[in-house]
Formats: sequence, C-alpha cells, structure tokens
Amino acid sequence: MEAIWLYQFRLIVIGDSTVGKSCLIRRFTEGRFAQVSDPTVGVDFFSRLVEIEPGKRIKLQIWDTAGQERFRSITRAYYRNSVGGLLLFDITNRRSFQNVHDWLEEARSHVQPHSIVFLLVGHKCDLEAQRQVTRQEAEKLAGAYGMRYIETSARDAINVEHAFTELTREIFALVRSGDITIQEGWEGVKSGFVPNVVHSSEEVTKSDRRCLC
Amino acid sequence: MSDSEASAAATQDASPSADSTSLSTHLAPTRKARRSPEARAEAEEKPAETCSPATISQGGWGYWGSWGKSILTTATATVATVGQGLTQVIEKAETTLGIPSPTELSAQAEEERQQGEAGDEKQAESDGSSPVGSAMGMLSSLTSVVQNTGKTVVSGGLDALEFIGKKTMDMIAEGDPGFKKTKGLMNRNATLSQVLREAKEREELQTAGAESSDPEKKAVAHYGMLFDEFQGLSHLEALEILSRESESKVKSVLTTLSGDQLVQLREELDQIKDSFSMVEFDEEEEEETEDDGGAEFEKELTELLEGLHVSATADKLSTACKNICSTVSDMNKPLNKEGDEEETLRHSAEEVHAAAIRSLAELTARSIELFHKLAEIILTSSSCVEASILSQLTVVLCKEISQLSKKFTSCLTTAGSSQKGDVLNPLITGVFLEASNSASYTQDAFQLLMPILEISHIQRRAEFSEQ
Repeated sequence: MEAIWLYQFRLIVIGDSTVGKSCLIRRFTEGRFAQVSDPTVGVDFFSRLVEIEPGKRIKLQIWDTAGQERFRSITRAYYRNSVGGLLLFDITNRRSFQNVHDWLEEARSHVQPHSIVFLLVGHKCDLEAQRQVTRQEAEKLAGAYGMRYIETSARDAINVEHAFTELTREIFALVRSGDITIQEGWEGVKSGFVPNVVHSSEEVTKSDRRCLC
Repeated sequence: MSDSEASAAATQDASPSADSTSLSTHLAPTRKARRSPEARAEAEEKPAETCSPATISQGGWGYWGSWGKSILTTATATVATVGQGLTQVIEKAETTLGIPSPTELSAQAEEERQQGEAGDEKQAESDGSSPVGSAMGMLSSLTSVVQNTGKTVVSGGLDALEFIGKKTMDMIAEGDPGFKKTKGLMNRNATLSQVLREAKEREELQTAGAESSDPEKKAVAHYGMLFDEFQGLSHLEALEILSRESESKVKSVLTTLSGDQLVQLREELDQIKDSFSMVEFDEEEEEETEDDGGAEFEKELTELLEGLHVSATADKLSTACKNICSTVSDMNKPLNKEGDEEETLRHSAEEVHAAAIRSLAELTARSIELFHKLAEIILTSSSCVEASILSQLTVVLCKEISQLSKKFTSCLTTAGSSQKGDVLNPLITGVFLEASNSASYTQDAFQLLMPILEISHIQRRAEFSEQ
C-alpha cells in the first residue's frame, strides 16, 4: 500500500437504517456492490486514498455507523473525532429524508467543540421510478444547512467517487485556509508524511485556490 | 541490507540529539537490530553451542539455548507470553548494545536474579553504569515484577508486558548509559491505540523516507502499519471510546448511591473485576497440539461465542486463522517441484519473517475487532455476557498467537538454516517480539471490556428493579 499521503481525514457516514451506507462505502473502497449485506453492528471501518490533485493524496478513514436505533447510544460516541461526514437518505424512502434534520442535530451536538463538514447524499438514485424525494427539495434542505447535495447509486456506481472526492476537497480547502486545524487529541485531521515537502511552502503563501469542480 | 544503510541507521541511533519522542514507542526493533553493526560483530563471536541443532528442533524456545532458558525459568511462574517478553528483552539488549557474549550475559542475568527481587535498588544501582549494567538491572527488575504478579496474569501481566513491549524496549534500544528515564517506566499515560498509532506513523515515515532514497529496496514488514491496514487501530480506538464512556458512567452511578445500596453494588462490581484478574493460561495444554490448520481454534471460538450474535466477526477471525495456517504449511514446503533433491529452493528467511509479522498483525487486528463488536453487543442488548467467557476467549486468542509464533519461528529456522546467526536471530526475535506485543494488545483489549460489563450489569439491575 502506498504510504505517502498529505493528510488523513476521518469521515463518518450516518443516516437511517437500510439507506445503503455500507453499500456506498463498499463500492467506494472495494469497488463492488454487495447484493445482500447484514445490518452494521455499531461501527465498521474502511479506508482509501483519494487523489484530489495530481500528486496530492488524502487518506480517508471512514467510520461506517449502524443506522439501527438500538445502536444510537453507542454511535453517538463516535462523532467527535470526525472532520466530515456523509449524511445519507434513500430517495425512495421519504421517512429517511424527513429524519435528515434529526441526524444533523444529533451529529452537531456530539462533535462539540469541533465542527463537522457534511455532504447530503440522496442514495439509490438508480431507482428513479420509486423516487419519493425530488432533487429540488433535497437541494433546498441541503442549502438551508449549508451542505452540498449529491445523488448517488452504489449499485450502478453513479457519483460514488464524486461524492467522496467532493467532500474531501471541501475539507481540504478548509484545512488549507486554516479554518480547520490539526489538533492534539483530535483525530479528525492528521498530517501525513511527504518526503519532499512541497505542500508546506504552498500553504505559507496561501495562493488562492480555484475550485476544481 | 547494504552497509551504507546499516551505518546510516547506526548514526541515527547514536545521535544524542535524536528526538526522544520518536523513540518513545519503538515497536519494530527487528529492523534496527538487524542493521546494528555492533550486533553483527557480536553475533559472529557467539559460541556455537548456544544454538545447537538439538535445541533448534524444539522450535522457538530452545533456539536461544541455555542462556535464554535461565531467564525463561524465572518467568515460567507466570505465562508463556510474559516469558516471551522477557526473552526478547534479553535478546534485544544483546543485539542492540552488542553485549559481550550470550554466555557471559546469561551468567550475569543469573547472578542478578539470585541477588533477589529488589528491582528498584538494582535499578538505582545500575543507573549511570555501563549500558550492559543498566540494561541488565532493568531486566532483573522486570523479572521481579513479572514474578510478583503471580497467577493473576492478565491484570498483573499487563503492566509487565506493556513496558517490556514498549517503554523498556526504547530504553534498551537507545543504548545510552546516561539514560535515566527508568522512573517513568510505569507511567501509562498514553492509551494503547495512541502507542500503536505513533508506532505506525513512525513506520510510515521510515517507509516514506526509504522509498524516496532507495526505490529498489524491498518493503520491510511493519507490524504497526499492517495492524492499521487490517483496521485494528480503528477498532481499538472505538473500543477505548466505549470503555472510557462506560467507566465514567459507572463512576457517576456510584456517586448517586449511598449506604447499603452502594456497598451492595460495589460488591457486585468487585465480582466482575475479579473475573478480569483471575485468568490463568494453561501452558501444558498447548505443548502437544497437533497442527490442525486452525480447526480447533475455530471450534473453541464458535463454542465460546455461541448466542452472542458476533458470528460474522468470529468468522472473519477463523478465516484469517485458517489462511495463516495454510501460509505456514506452504512455507514449510520447498518451492520447487518434487525430485530436485540436490538443491531445494525454499522461501527466504525474510519472506517467512514478513509473512509471520503480517499474520500476527492480522490475527491481532481481528481479535480486537471481535472484542470491539462484543462491547457493542453487550452495550446494546440486555442479555448478560459472562466475564468468564471473555477471559476464556482471551486465553484462546493468546494461545493461538503463541502457537503461530512457534510455527513461524520453526519455519524461519528451517528457511534460514544456511544463513548466519546475525541475519536469522533478529528475524526470530522480531517474530517473538511482535507475538508478545500481539498477546499484550489482546489482553489490553480484554481489560477494556471490564467497564463495559460493569455498566451493562448496572443497566440490567435497573431494568430488573423497575419490573
């Protein structure tokens, strides 16, 4: 495994049970889609490197939480050390969309004193015929909370890379601008090791960065 | 292993200005030891009888000859894993510092051992003397700690293993006679996952450095990085979070109680605590087990975990174990096809070593994953999990680690039979060291479950009284 990365970001993936959190992560980290999967117990872990610019790799450590209510008391404990997260709902399940607000509240109250960057993800977008949540209303909700909105499908591999890379870029920009800083005793952002230190000089000059999206 | 590399490593080690934090948790002494030029010179002077074929054939333990055994007998009062730790400390001291000769060292160790168990005095006395003296002084103090733990292996052995495995290693590794951090030895202010994380980060740094300077160089097996790759670190961290939370919940419950209620609850919690400190490792049993490719391990695991709803995780662990077993038997077979008796191609000692380190890292990561899942299950279900099941599980896991390390070292001994001791010994030591670390991580993870069982007990109690 390539050991050289600029930063490590810890991301947490939350949302109602059965919206497809584990499937999305598995598609992203393992490149495959599992037809059947057991409900997640507590939290599981995945990691992958993402190249956000040529030669600039970020290691993503992904905490895949259980959506089931009975695990809520323990998954709460896992929020604090995350710098970002994907908040998933299922576009074919209106209830899971209605719960987005609660998930956000729950997360925000448990990451204190740190803040967390969320991306709203409307999952299972391959099931267009069964759609219960329109893109417009999801975008509106995301906008109200200062999030971006992306629709994905783990089964058809739609926007999966895009969702993770987008969030990673957003966090990277905040790290670079100094809005997010590496802190002792906080695992959200870790600095990696780069033998030929190119990035540090760049960071000092703080050249304005164009959005690549 | 070029000479330039060895000398580079040596300069780094010898540098007095070396950042002490970078040495604070040295987990992979194999590389260092292997590169140490002093060790190389010393090993060549090693008397032949210390590694006679007779002892080699017995597997790992015998390999170190009488010299290792004298230390070992001191430690047999406790457990195999603790014993391993000690043997490695001695070996570590030898390879890193270039101490005279194993026989001399053995005499010295014996002498110090006989001088009684006054570890602290010994330590003070040896401070500031030669590196050999201070290392040995510390070893004897460790020995006494190990002896004092008696049969309460898990809790007692933990501290011993903790600092044998890490802190002590650094001191010896540093090889600095003026190094006086001895009194800080028992400080455990860092959590286990921090220790491992730091080790992993250092390994990554080293790897990154090696890649940039010498792209040709083959990757060395890094326990910490592999452990992380198998998500062991994350599971451990998550388990620590749950353990800490439960601990503070238990404390806050205790503050709300008074009088008889408090006394009664304390008694009940003490019973749980007891089961966490009464674990015994049955050594005899592990002596004569046949190589069954991990079937026995799977059976024991399944029996223990029946009804605990962690079958998926347990399956991962048994599969890992089976794969490891088949790796070992593959490595014991010659590489070339039958018939070619004259020149048998074998896996190189380095290959076997890398496989061993990887296997230990995987098994340990999977074990910790299992403990983490158990913690989550215990906290979210109202069913009662007996502490005794968890301690038996720990025993089974540690036994497996120990057996694996033996299999791999005997395989290593065969693979490296044509190589000199200075190449082979550090590899064997490395396997035993990581096996000892693996066992101590597993036992630490087991201990993390204690507050979880306590709070689960308190919750069940509350539910019961409501009804």
